[in-house]
Amino acid sequence: MAELKTSQIVGTPYIDGKYAAILDMWPLEAPECNRIYPFYDNLKQGRWTTTKCKKCGNIDYPPGVACTKCWSDDLEWVDLPKTARIAAVTEMAGPPTGFESPLVMAWLGFDKSHPLKHLLVRLINCKLADVKNGDEVKLVTFEVPSHPIDVKKETKICDRVYYAFEPVKK
Amino acid sequence: MAQKKNAVIVGGGTSKFGVRAATIFDMLQEAANALSKDIPGLKPKDVDGLIFASTTAGRNSNSLNTAPIVAHRLGIYPTSICVRVDTLCSGSNTAIILATGLIESGISDCILVCGTEKLNMPQRWESVYMNLITNDHDWDSAMGLAVPPPFFTMIAQHHMKKYGTTKEQMGAVSVTNYAYGFNNPNAQFGGKSLNLDEYLVARTVCEPFGLNDCCPVTDGASAVIVASEERAKAMTDRPLVYIRGTGQTSTHGMSAHWPADTLADWPHLKHAGEIAYKAAGLTPKDIDVAQTHDCFTISEIIEVEELGFCKKGEGGEFCASGGIKVDGQTPVNTDGGLLAIGHPYGATGARQAVEICKQLQGRALNQVKDAKFGLTHNLSGVCAQHTVVIYGTEPR
Repeated sequence: MAELKTSQIVGTPYIDGKYAAILDMWPLEAPECNRIYPFYDNLKQGRWTTTKCKKCGNIDYPPGVACTKCWSDDLEWVDLPKTARIAAVTEMAGPPTGFESPLVMAWLGFDKSHPLKHLLVRLINCKLADVKNGDEVKLVTFEVPSHPIDVKKETKICDRVYYAFEPVKK
Repeated sequence: MAQKKNAVIVGGGTSKFGVRAATIFDMLQEAANALSKDIPGLKPKDVDGLIFASTTAGRNSNSLNTAPIVAHRLGIYPTSICVRVDTLCSGSNTAIILATGLIESGISDCILVCGTEKLNMPQRWESVYMNLITNDHDWDSAMGLAVPPPFFTMIAQHHMKKYGTTKEQMGAVSVTNYAYGFNNPNAQFGGKSLNLDEYLVARTVCEPFGLNDCCPVTDGASAVIVASEERAKAMTDRPLVYIRGTGQTSTHGMSAHWPADTLADWPHLKHAGEIAYKAAGLTPKDIDVAQTHDCFTISEIIEVEELGFCKKGEGGEFCASGGIKVDGQTPVNTDGGLLAIGHPYGATGARQAVEICKQLQGRALNQVKDAKFGLTHNLSGVCAQHTVVIYGTEPR
């Protein structure tokens, strides 16, 4: 059985050895927990994806089970371009426990060919002084703590990833 | 169907707002006590409906399905409605919209609208950490967005760049609202004055915001009575304050769906205001006094623009030149607002309604002369939802 990756992060607490999803700061990514698990599976491969409606052509973000323009469930997974430019950036001391301090957050603007116009994201691998409006950033993935899930009489360990953005090196 | 009735706000009260050694039920009882003093003779048995607003009760106060417990603690036996509303910062303003519909349709006759939050926890980390579940948890919150200062500083950056708004103009909002809140006995910063020099040197929270640009973390509760016109007349001799029009828009629970090209423009607030003005048969020029959602100084500046009290882009100048003062064009946040009173999310809308009720009845602490029409506004989420309610001394 896979090893349970416990964490000192308060966001994924273990109470008397028991995992409490109600205090988890990360999404429950396993197929047993949601129907958009391909998003996370793709993210593990370094792909940033979402759902596109085959009926009306609408691309949603976040991905879903039904199109938010026409409620059709005839959807396909498509890749999103992984770069954007900073449209505003700030940092905050005293972020939620589990995040580095100061936390750098940015409002991203995507170019016209991108399905998204804007997105609020966390910037990592940089300080606020390293970045400015107009700078190009790219998607970066990282491991986050795994969690257990009861499957019949067994305990399955669910490995997880998440994403942020980082500066494109010049 | 029976003829539509008129809904009236009869009176209300709040607990002391601040860092409280009290549970949500303690504070709700304080608010009920204040309400009973505001409407002498009102008894719990007179109330036939309860709409209770709280977002964090399920987490911070370990209480889900809270409305029946609130009814029990306040001695109410609801026969028309007993429900909890969870729309974060606009909770009890949303509840007032619901109460209006129930009164106008005749389903209810006398509704207690109340709201509360206990935001300060035994350890400070938990207060911030809890806020991860008030946003879109799996998307925005996983990026680290919990409490809102980072998002609103970016809003301020965009407004400063696009419209030339200055730090001093934001300071004018804070100084004005602290002055309004100075005499408010229930304000978290009651008795605290603030001048522009003190504002400018305050500790930085998140550039360009200093401490006084942000509302504090607050515990508190508020309560108001919404009743039919006929019932209200039997309850009070004061002038009646009618609920004339309401509007609520919600565009996104996630930052990906922001409805404008820049963060400086809030078309979803403009839209909510237009819906409420139309329903009320009024225009922005008619509003004599407003309580808008000054969670941050920049919020009030954008709100006076989008609600039509000044031209788009001129909110900073409007606030700094005294447009929001008690003798100004449209006095705003005359009881101190979120900045000076504090902001226990679900309690704020009803607190604003209490102030507008007092203003239109001529008994507010910072009274606006001959106020006939008033407006309340809340935003909630990452500025995703806007809620507007318009009041008047005459029915539509």
